[in-house]
Amino acid sequence: MRRRLALALMLCCIPVAPVLAQEKFPDRPITIVAPFPPGGVADLTARPVAAAMEKILKNPVVVVNKTGAAGAVGMSFVANSKPDGYTLLMALSSISIIPEADKLFDRKPAYTVDQLVPLALFSADPTILAVGANHPWKNVRDLVADAKKRPGAISYSSSGIYGTLHMAMEMFSHAAGIKLNHVPYGGAGPALTAVLGGHQDMLASGPAVLIPHIKAGKLRALAGWGAKRVAAMPDVPTFKELGYDIEFYIWAGAFAPKGTPEAIMKKLRETMKQVVQEPEFKDAMAKLETPIAYMDAPDFQKFYERDGKMLAEATRRIGRIEEPGK
Amino acid sequence: MLETLQNLYLGFTVALSPAVFLYAVIGCIIGTLVGVLPGVGPLAGISLLLPASFGMDATSAIVLLAGIYYGAMYGGSTTSILMRIPGEAASVMTCIDGYAMTRNGRAGPALAIAAVGSYIAGTVSVVALMLLAPPLANFALRFGPPEYCALLLLGLLALAYMSGGSILKALAMATLGLLFGMIGIDPMTGFFRFAYGVVELGDGIGVVPVAVGLFGLSEILLTAGEEAPPEVKKPRLADLLPSRQEWRDSVWPIGRGTVLGFLIGIVPGSAHIISSFVSYAVERRVSKHPERFGHGAIEGVAGPESANNSATSGAFVPMLALGVPSGPIPAVMLAALMVHGISPGPLLIQQQPQLFWGFIASMYVGNIVLLILNLPLVGVFVNILRVPYPYLYPAILIFCVLGVYAVNGSVVDVWIMIAMGALGYILRKLDFETAPIVLGVVLAPMLEMSFRQSLAMSSGDYTIFLSRPIATAMLAAGACLLLLSMLSLLRRGAGWRSALGLANVEKEDTHET
Repeated sequence: MRRRLALALMLCCIPVAPVLAQEKFPDRPITIVAPFPPGGVADLTARPVAAAMEKILKNPVVVVNKTGAAGAVGMSFVANSKPDGYTLLMALSSISIIPEADKLFDRKPAYTVDQLVPLALFSADPTILAVGANHPWKNVRDLVADAKKRPGAISYSSSGIYGTLHMAMEMFSHAAGIKLNHVPYGGAGPALTAVLGGHQDMLASGPAVLIPHIKAGKLRALAGWGAKRVAAMPDVPTFKELGYDIEFYIWAGAFAPKGTPEAIMKKLRETMKQVVQEPEFKDAMAKLETPIAYMDAPDFQKFYERDGKMLAEATRRIGRIEEPGK
Repeated sequence: MLETLQNLYLGFTVALSPAVFLYAVIGCIIGTLVGVLPGVGPLAGISLLLPASFGMDATSAIVLLAGIYYGAMYGGSTTSILMRIPGEAASVMTCIDGYAMTRNGRAGPALAIAAVGSYIAGTVSVVALMLLAPPLANFALRFGPPEYCALLLLGLLALAYMSGGSILKALAMATLGLLFGMIGIDPMTGFFRFAYGVVELGDGIGVVPVAVGLFGLSEILLTAGEEAPPEVKKPRLADLLPSRQEWRDSVWPIGRGTVLGFLIGIVPGSAHIISSFVSYAVERRVSKHPERFGHGAIEGVAGPESANNSATSGAFVPMLALGVPSGPIPAVMLAALMVHGISPGPLLIQQQPQLFWGFIASMYVGNIVLLILNLPLVGVFVNILRVPYPYLYPAILIFCVLGVYAVNGSVVDVWIMIAMGALGYILRKLDFETAPIVLGVVLAPMLEMSFRQSLAMSSGDYTIFLSRPIATAMLAAGACLLLLSMLSLLRRGAGWRSALGLANVEKEDTHET
């Protein structure tokens, strides 16, 4: 009898449960989905964020790598999750590219941009243009002049077609009015190896990855995509300084599925604001040589929309690829 | 030389310090486990343990992760030999002769040779890594897309020697594998090919579900279809160690496997998998009794198992000497270094001598630990064969499903495995070998990528393959190989039908009627 009563009570409580859950959010583990494999930027940012959140919320926060199709699998997983604040996403710039590429190929989109709502930006590293040290170009002007003389003869490697490194180079070549030969690789690592081996002429990549090779004299940095110069490379000018109106960042930020209750969103935003103050988090990012670039949801929203618009334009400009020799 | 010895001494003081030594042992044990579990391989194991390594110091972290990598190469052979289920993708070739040995009651010697071969290859290749890393790394850098493409073509041609049966059938299977490898996002244009709206297929078909399905599941299905359970000779205690003849037969395969594996390991790609295929092909080619292959030739275990171990050391060459990854596993390990604030690059060895030499010394130590760990385990594992089939096979099935699911957490992978199991069953009923399919699936994406990258570099001009010395030399070697095999085909004249395996089919047909 008592058990039945308890059951009846429980049933009565069901409609109220979400309200209760909101009041004491979180009461069970939160999952942060990193749509890329362990060791990637999304993963390496998500883990210290999760550790700091765990400390602040006194509640388990786990990172799950849901990889596949250049991040589309993990992102669509979160986009279609229950909007209760327990499933979050650590996304990179590519979040804006995938739906646009889907449009380009008339595919059913894996997710749409408005299915995910920004929570906080953690880092935004500008990419740096680096050429093999044996090449004659000492600055962007040399490079552009040479590229104009020999259209399509100078090559660059990228992490993959429509990938972030491809986008950065597309913005540059469009702004400079030059034609470069794009050779995609299966990731940022192989793309770097290709330039080190002299098989391709240059690439755009994050400062932390490039610096050891620049210091060793194998690569030369020509310019950066940031609004400001990178602290670790004070001599490398930005494209903006050189008169090219382009900006590009490899950024990492947290998102929640659309429809997450306002109270939970507020709590998560507050938590993330505290996260970036945690010494452990600062330490972890410093070791990765990635400066923290925190933005709360409203600012991040603006940044994200502007960035997304630029990436969408670049994607459309690239269009469907026609291969040489066809 | 003296400097090297001093450095090595420094390395051993690091590697034998209690904390680092403990992590090396833990890494080796975890590696053996992920190797033994079907499906779960070193990449999954390292990815899983990567977050746990963030709290350690850099040397312990890298020693732990490396231990998983080469430990998995030891463990991977176990299920391949005992149950014909590749513990991880690099053990596919071991399935063929290793399992045949088990059926002949020689499971113990196969396991022992796999462990000893792995030990020798592991240790010798670390010496090579220690002495030759910087010059070899620079050689590896000279492998651009055209060279890589030529190398893969050479690998595919070597395949013609791999199969025990008909060349035609082997080539058909390799083509099927290459076709499977075409599924997924087109790497140069971004088109989804043959994905039919399944987002997970965008990354193509993974080698793990294919290997486990084609080998493991098909074996279970075949056994279940037999009227009486196959008689496996129960291992006797005296049969645990290889005979003198078996030792003698294994010496050269282990030596060749070690050299091959190391060289292939340096070249970027899934080297440990490819090296085992190449080693098997080589052993079959140089053997005086190639007909023994597929029926329990110990060389077919010793060679590939040594090669895949040696390839792991090779893979560390570009990683340590240049700070660039040579495959997905070194890429994760580089990330582990970056988390600890160490920028991997060409100056790593000078800037972090303790890390580099500690790492090298830990690999010497780790290989000894693994040998001590694995040899007594032979006796334990062999006893699995005493479990009756009605209990053993359902349990294996569960492990296969769990293992394949665990790699990416993807149900699609499990379906692929099941479909491949059914396909493998049909093909083996029709007397086709399934190993070339796995090779095709492994090679297709790399071959396609490097071929199209080469053409992108040359704006569609095919002469790029003939204007680069390394690529040209490899293509020439491939052409010679092809000519040689055709020559023997011609010389046999009327025997061409038997060479193609057609005569075989006819014979069987008459048998049945």
